[in-house]
Amino acid sequence: MTTDRHRSPAAETQQRPPLAWMRRSLQWGTRARPGKGGLTLAALNIGLYGEIPDEWHDLTRMPRGAYPVPGVPAIGGYTQRAKAQLWADNAAELYEEAISRRWIPAVDVPWEDATPLPEDLEIALAQVCTELSQQASIEVEVISRWLQELSYGYHEVKLFLATEVYDAGRHFELFRKRALVNGGGLHLESPGQVNRVLLESRAGWSETCALLHILRGTFTFTLYRYLAAYAPTPADVVLFTRALQDKARHLAYAMQHLRYAVTHRPDFGEQMQRFLTGAELAVAADARDPVLWEALAIVFGRGVRGIDDGMTVVQALRQAYVRGYVARLRWIGVERGERLYPGFAAALAPASA
Amino acid sequence: MTTTADSLDALRAYGRERGYDLSWLERPATWGTQLRPGKTGLVLDEVERGPHGFAPEESTNLTGRIRGAIARPGVPRVGAYPVRTKADIWLRNAAELYEEAQARQWSSATDIPWEKIGPLPDDIEAAECQFATFLTEVEFVAGDVPGKWIASVTPDYFEPRMFLISQVMDEARHLDVFRKRALVNGGGLMQRTAAVAAVTGGAIDSARDFTEMSARLHMSGEGAVLTLFRIGELMAYNEAEKQIYRLAASDESRHVAFGVMHLQYLAQAAPERREEIQAYLDEAERNLVTGASGQNPASSGFAASEALAVLLGGGVDKFDEGMKLLLAARQRQVKEYVQRVKVAGFGERFENGRASPLLKKYLEIE
Repeated sequence: MTTDRHRSPAAETQQRPPLAWMRRSLQWGTRARPGKGGLTLAALNIGLYGEIPDEWHDLTRMPRGAYPVPGVPAIGGYTQRAKAQLWADNAAELYEEAISRRWIPAVDVPWEDATPLPEDLEIALAQVCTELSQQASIEVEVISRWLQELSYGYHEVKLFLATEVYDAGRHFELFRKRALVNGGGLHLESPGQVNRVLLESRAGWSETCALLHILRGTFTFTLYRYLAAYAPTPADVVLFTRALQDKARHLAYAMQHLRYAVTHRPDFGEQMQRFLTGAELAVAADARDPVLWEALAIVFGRGVRGIDDGMTVVQALRQAYVRGYVARLRWIGVERGERLYPGFAAALAPASA
Repeated sequence: MTTTADSLDALRAYGRERGYDLSWLERPATWGTQLRPGKTGLVLDEVERGPHGFAPEESTNLTGRIRGAIARPGVPRVGAYPVRTKADIWLRNAAELYEEAQARQWSSATDIPWEKIGPLPDDIEAAECQFATFLTEVEFVAGDVPGKWIASVTPDYFEPRMFLISQVMDEARHLDVFRKRALVNGGGLMQRTAAVAAVTGGAIDSARDFTEMSARLHMSGEGAVLTLFRIGELMAYNEAEKQIYRLAASDESRHVAFGVMHLQYLAQAAPERREEIQAYLDEAERNLVTGASGQNPASSGFAASEALAVLLGGGVDKFDEGMKLLLAARQRQVKEYVQRVKVAGFGERFENGRASPLLKKYLEIE
């Protein structure tokens, strides 16, 4: 509905071109108010601006709530046009949180406290950081490829995912710097099976989101949590804790979205059951490679001579990953426990298989 | 540098006795170096000194490994990475621009004094909101498009990738801040833009070469908007709007600098592509002056250009004065564009008649 409004007589009589746009606001009188956290994205959702449609048919970049113009051709892309394909009620808040908690690896990590470690420990930590840096790099590639497919009608999600790309870029940089700061160097690349699954997932954003966040993200989150707990230097405590906070935000979006998708797409829960089996197979394949586990065990055991003790912690980490993965899926509405790919549970958490 | 009492050989042997592999536990070439933060912290320029800092002219990395990591056999080719030639993406100061972007991040929620926006005459409010609507629509072009390219660039050229990541973040904030401006003071979102370039060609989205995209996005589209942000003081009616334009200009100038520096690198590293680049600039000039591309809010035929005239003049009743000021803004857009092209190393087009005659027409009153 176009709202008519008062205009001064002078403006009416002296305007030169038609200036028809001056009357084209669908909701004149909208006044979003700043709150304690400033003027937030969520605060803008007033009246029609807060109406989130179940389908967004526009294939251009028309902002939600703008006055439409007939005859604007489609841009192409924007294949994710249903709310159930990307929406999460917490996206706007997570977007603002990401900005308010921004940090900078160059200055917010006390690098001077990254005291040099014994050679085996330094190299092991560098191997772990090489893996984490690559995981972050892949995360950047996966999400940034999807941005152009997500409709403008759901800008809150696009904006949140922009912050996640930025966070992941920061993590790539962070772990690269940690690997190199004491000469530990960059070591073996990832085995690559899960990376391939993430990059080749093209069915829809929800599917990619599940793999990137719940399957891989829960693993990354668990790694950060254990590395923060067993950090060998004060600088490492800071950097793993910071990364953990960012990752928790990414998982919060994904869980909210996937729960929404499972609730609103009748068959999606069962679809998840099927594609997760294939993805768990890739995790099991990567898990057979000993490099990351051995490197973690050396970090947790404070050196090769403590590797047996460290491997006990690694085993606990692997079990925590599987438990976290299953618990997150349960919260989403996907009861995975009995349907876990047997090789997945066996490779990662034999004690709980 | 701290070392263990045992040699790595002895430690590997200890591990193997217990059933571990540990073949990966090798002393790296970087062993013995220690990096410490400088005045601006531990920045990439400091870190990338060593073998891992070398960006090859051509990249054969198809497995997504980070630059400097050790390749291993049997890893699948996870990335198509069509951009694997350094000249196609590189610039000399990408890492520096990325670090600057991080240092200058801001929050649209808390860094804009929204409370300073008071009631405005309807025509001014409508014009502010029309301009904001244009910007909230187009700003994330520059988020979607760099996103697509980030995933296409080999990780061996991670510095430009990192800059593009920071641009995605900046553009998200711009979409957000202009939407906030439209919705904070009564006007609401106004008429959306009606561009046709996605069909007729020349759209930023459609470019199939990175440099072509960068010419359209950074040199033309963002360059035109940067000029307007820089004169934001002239069309702002309160401290909040001034701050929005100041902060957005700071971001946008980084994006434009990326485009200029990339073209400059390409001109030197791949001189055989000069004529091709000139063709992109022909197109960039068309996009700068015509409304069809949907890139430049100051070009004629746009609701946004009329809104600018209202804002610059001070109201609908001063529209003619506003148009004169808009022409001055267009002159500045062209002047700054010419300067950018010259710095990039393609200034001969302004001497040899190659530059578009439309640039001159753009500066005439319709």
